[in-house]
Amino acid sequence: MQGPVTSLPSEPPRFFNRGPSPLARLTFFGIASLALMFIDARFSALEAVRKVIATVVYPAQQAALVPEQVARSVGEFFESRGELRAENARLKAELLQATQAQHGYAAARQESERLQKLLQVAQGTTTRAQATRVVYQGRDPYSQKAFIQRSTAQTFEPGSAVVDELGLLGQLTRVHPLFAEVTLLTEKDFAVPVKVERTSMRALLFGRGPDKLPELRFVADNADVKEGDVLLTSSIDGLYPGNIRVARVSSVQHDAGSSFARIECTPTASVAGADSVLVLDKPPPLPPKPVADATPQEPAHRRRR
Amino acid sequence: MSWFRLPDSPLFRIARPEDILLAPKPWFVALTLALAFTINLLPLSGAALALRPDFFALVLLYWCIHQPRWIGIGVAWFCGLLTDVVEANLFGQHALAYAILGFAAGYFHRRVLRFPLWQQALHVLGLLLIAQLVVLVLRLMSGASPPTLAMLLGNVSSALIWPIVSALLQWPQRVRSLLD
Repeated sequence: MQGPVTSLPSEPPRFFNRGPSPLARLTFFGIASLALMFIDARFSALEAVRKVIATVVYPAQQAALVPEQVARSVGEFFESRGELRAENARLKAELLQATQAQHGYAAARQESERLQKLLQVAQGTTTRAQATRVVYQGRDPYSQKAFIQRSTAQTFEPGSAVVDELGLLGQLTRVHPLFAEVTLLTEKDFAVPVKVERTSMRALLFGRGPDKLPELRFVADNADVKEGDVLLTSSIDGLYPGNIRVARVSSVQHDAGSSFARIECTPTASVAGADSVLVLDKPPPLPPKPVADATPQEPAHRRRR
Repeated sequence: MSWFRLPDSPLFRIARPEDILLAPKPWFVALTLALAFTINLLPLSGAALALRPDFFALVLLYWCIHQPRWIGIGVAWFCGLLTDVVEANLFGQHALAYAILGFAAGYFHRRVLRFPLWQQALHVLGLLLIAQLVVLVLRLMSGASPPTLAMLLGNVSSALIWPIVSALLQWPQRVRSLLD
């Protein structure tokens, strides 16, 4: 019964079958996540999965809002009568001013319509706005997002502009059945086509990420932009309705080494603390782009043949 | 860390690996995970948000360490997907980070439990930092702006509350084993 002496195995035999080893599992799930990230960044195939998960976790999201709502209603209950009266008086004064401005606006609008008719320019229709509330700000430290409520009756469309009472807040990026994501205009590389109110000069406003002010890029060093200038949407992209306040120029720096000025702007909307917001419908689609652009892009040698 | 002591009662003493506890109920595991997920969703902003511990990752880590047969890499990966959806970022980013957490926890689970709670917290800090680093690399590769050091505050606060989370999550098991 004496066989050859064999060394003991370095690992004890596996008595229980526990499936694939942890490292194999990690490799599998790691590759799966990388694939998901790649697909999500390049294609929009995963939106359906996202919607399903978003609907499943919706109760948890609502539950998380309860403490704040309770705190708010308790706070409202204890708000003193004096404070409410003061607020009421302030609101009345503001309403009075707004009504006056409204009268002026109506007259100006009529006049502009008359002029537009004279010039036979396509008329800007009034854009429909849907009111909603910001439920919470995004928690990802890398990106600037806000989440707004959506009732099932509201027809939100990705790409629509979102504004608060002070100006443009951002753009709807994803619409879930019960809430929607807004990318704020401070998001890195988020571009808004704007024009300077004073000079009607058009430019692009780029977000630069959290804790940094957006800036006007590619504006020539000698362009007429001053501190305090107001930027409005220019409606040149066909996404945002025109003439919504976006930002105010907060600093203009001239750099001898660069041919562009460095122009930082402060958003007029309260990007970090917006509460009630409006979702504006997209303006009517623009006429199709001219097709002429396609021909010069063909390789030169083909044309020679 | 002598200034912080959990009350010296069998209710608050965390079990040593050689202690025999009653097995947790599956519904309790699921409930604590759901609760941690909900707490993560509290609408905070500013400094409170930066300081907020990642409760979901903590509870996930706890169960990965204490109940590795049930909660492992797969569950952690799925939990990461949920986080990705509610935070509206690149799909799969937290999934990868949490899967790595799950793997590391499974690798360390015998070792971690031999340490007192405060040293366990240091282990937890290390694991969370690894997961955070993975997310950071992925975000920088996908073109996000580099974040500030304030991002690490959440990891530190997570590690700080690890003793409390462990004691709380083990409480029902200890109470039941004391009663029996």
